Amino acid sequence: MTPQDQSAVVELKIPCRPEFVGVARLAILGVASRMPFSYDEVEDIRLAVGEACTTAVERAIKANQTDTSLTITSEIADSRLTIDIVDQVAKTPPSGSEENAPVEGLDEENIGALLMELLVDEIKIEPTPGQGTRVQMIKYVG
Amino acid sequence: MNLKIDTSSLGENMSVIALEGEVDVYTAPQLKQQIITMLDSNITNIIVDLTNVEYLDSTALGVLIGGLKRLRERDGSLDLVIPNPRIRRIFEITGLDKIFDIHQTLDEAQNAEKVKGG
Repeated sequence: MTPQDQSAVVELKIPCRPEFVGVARLAILGVASRMPFSYDEVEDIRLAVGEACTTAVERAIKANQTDTSLTITSEIADSRLTIDIVDQVAKTPPSGSEENAPVEGLDEENIGALLMELLVDEIKIEPTPGQGTRVQMIKYVG
Repeated sequence: MNLKIDTSSLGENMSVIALEGEVDVYTAPQLKQQIITMLDSNITNIIVDLTNVEYLDSTALGVLIGGLKRLRERDGSLDLVIPNPRIRRIFEITGLDKIFDIHQTLDEAQNAEKVKGG
């Protein structure tokens, strides 16, 4: 490691399917462990990234687009870790089905979103210029 | 690491589901299926033992909430065993520790179930 603030980028591309979310979690565990985060903070980052990937995978399943890929880009800087989770799942019109309606406001999606909010310092969710969603998370050191 | 599920019966309407590994978007459907199987067998009191669970996400929480809801509709219960502070923390920060009865050990959970069962 050089003394100056030199950032490094680690990029991982996985199929947007349930069985690969664990691969993304393992990778981010490796990245976060290289930084001066506490054990709990590394766990928080792992869970937050897991939730972001899970949200993308669940949308891919609903939209029948599990043939798309999910890109997880981690930018390691001295003071912070920035993680971009970008999917290619095109928006589908709402089905209007009540089948997956939330139960007492406690559906998985809400819990996943709540966890992400609580586990990282900053989170931004926005549509990508193409067709998909970008989740950007930042965790600061110290 | 995947999910390993072991079940054991504690009487005619009480069972334990012991989980080992990771409960996530990939493996949570297995847990859901196990709970449905028990519901179909008229088991109304389930203890889910998360002692050997290394990772758990919102998908797993969703399955557990769904199970709790169905069991309560039948005047049953779904209790959890969570000695691992990291896993317990996920329930605490989401407020779900107030919805589930969470125990430190399987013995503690069994005793609580006996009290509930009369």
